[in-house]
Amino acid sequence: MPRMTEAAASIRKRHGSPMSLVGPDHPAADAGKTLEVRDLDHTYSVNGKTTQALKDIAFDVSAGRFLSIVGPSGCGKSSLLMMLAGLLTPSEGVIAVGGRPLTKPDPTRVGVVFQDASLFPWLTARRNVEFPLFLRGVDKALRREKAEEALALVGLERFADSLPHELSGGMKQRVSIARGLVQDPPILLMDEPFAALDEQTRITMGDELLRIWEKARKTIVFVTHGLSEAIYLSDEVLVLSGRPGRILDRVVIDLPRPRSLDMMAQPRFAELREAIWHMIKA
Amino acid sequence: MAYDQSVTQVPRGRDASAGMSLETKARICRYAIIAAVIAAWEIVPRLGLVPRLFLPSLSSTLAVLAAQSGDFAIQMLVTLQEVAMALVFACGFGILFGLWVGSTLTVRKALLPVVSALFAVPLVVLYPLFTAWFGIGSASKVVFASVYGLLPTVLGTAAGAQTIDRQLTQAARSMGATRLQQILWVTLPASVPTVLASFRLGGALVIVGVVVAEMMMSSAGIGFLLSKYRTQLNSPGVFAAIILILALAIGFDLAVQAIERRWTAGGGRNKAARRPADMS
Repeated sequence: MPRMTEAAASIRKRHGSPMSLVGPDHPAADAGKTLEVRDLDHTYSVNGKTTQALKDIAFDVSAGRFLSIVGPSGCGKSSLLMMLAGLLTPSEGVIAVGGRPLTKPDPTRVGVVFQDASLFPWLTARRNVEFPLFLRGVDKALRREKAEEALALVGLERFADSLPHELSGGMKQRVSIARGLVQDPPILLMDEPFAALDEQTRITMGDELLRIWEKARKTIVFVTHGLSEAIYLSDEVLVLSGRPGRILDRVVIDLPRPRSLDMMAQPRFAELREAIWHMIKA
Repeated sequence: MAYDQSVTQVPRGRDASAGMSLETKARICRYAIIAAVIAAWEIVPRLGLVPRLFLPSLSSTLAVLAAQSGDFAIQMLVTLQEVAMALVFACGFGILFGLWVGSTLTVRKALLPVVSALFAVPLVVLYPLFTAWFGIGSASKVVFASVYGLLPTVLGTAAGAQTIDRQLTQAARSMGATRLQQILWVTLPASVPTVLASFRLGGALVIVGVVVAEMMMSSAGIGFLLSKYRTQLNSPGVFAAIILILALAIGFDLAVQAIERRWTAGGGRNKAARRPADMS
């Protein structure tokens, strides 16, 4: 126990108050807040039994940042992400994207990537990526052009005509990322996108995601239960408590970019990992 | 990585050295069995091992089929018509009803147990009732076969609609799909495999229903012909009718299988992929 507080304190000491942290070295550090979450509470009832899922959630994310949300299972991190996607309405509180409140899904402001890729199995990769544009009635030629751009961004232009079942797990997730980015939203939400992948693919996909992120210059909010993954990818990690989920801390990951695998062996990586681990375990 | 390769490559190499794939062996075996059955059908009665009344030889059966092809064709047409109409009722209503039951939670909880219980009732016992209500013409066959094929179609479709990946509808919602767009472009195409499987099952039962109904009480149809030949002790006629009914059932099954394959493999993909574009 004493070690935990020490580790957490050392992080605070180095970076000041957890709510005001924006790494000074990031190019987007001074840009406006892309995502703002204010006074968010969420309760739901099943069979007359009321459960508080989230409590006093408030944070914001600056443009171009990579933020991960971690927490013990059942802490409501996935519910939080659903709310950020406009798929779930919080009981209390406001979510704003680009200064405007978000009350329903809006793929031009927020793109979502789900855990199991959720590609439509009867559509080719290109048609899957075109789908959000198709829903909005975008003209066919433009749709195709945008989809091909997005597929090129994730490095899958050669697989545009493949069906999902012909693609590997990692490729499916890349198509899913392309679909999330096809309308050029400022924010990409990702709900444990690599959880279903094997270890090796997960690591490769992490690097691939960082490459896409740097190229597309998006804000990414990434929900995961993998602490190493969160630290490896993120600028900041938002740590949630067990139910009801509250924000325990917001940890700045001060590892230099570009990240590389050998950083995982560095003492600083282990220190950050241990600090977050102790917060969650407590 | 190295471990993975060693695991996947060793058995593959061994398979290749065996020379013939399991698939090929199975196919050869299947054809051999069919050939043996056909040969036995011809040879056994000819050798007098079985009285010809019980089992007429294949050639004499085919001879009857050819000699009375006009009669068979007329009765087959009646049966086909009844099957087609019953298919529309059983599978049309069954699939619509099943989709509704399967995708609506309250309806599912209220109705599914009832439908499942009805499934256990031997519906054949109701057929005399149907003839009383609808006469011994085509109407009673169509109604009976429709009811006979309806329940499994409802159950199959409902089970399928229930398991439609909720992630897919959620993904569509996150992309801003309206309720109507979700049904049109996600739920409907996602339920095609289930619908086809139910159609296959329901259709087979519709054929059974029509033929059984014709055999019990009727004035026309291939089942009627079969019953007539039986009472006349015309064994080759009976067997000829059986061949036609088998052909009908197998033909239907192959046709639906072909549609299923088209959907899951190349053809269906293109059709499905093209559809959103065409509608815009």
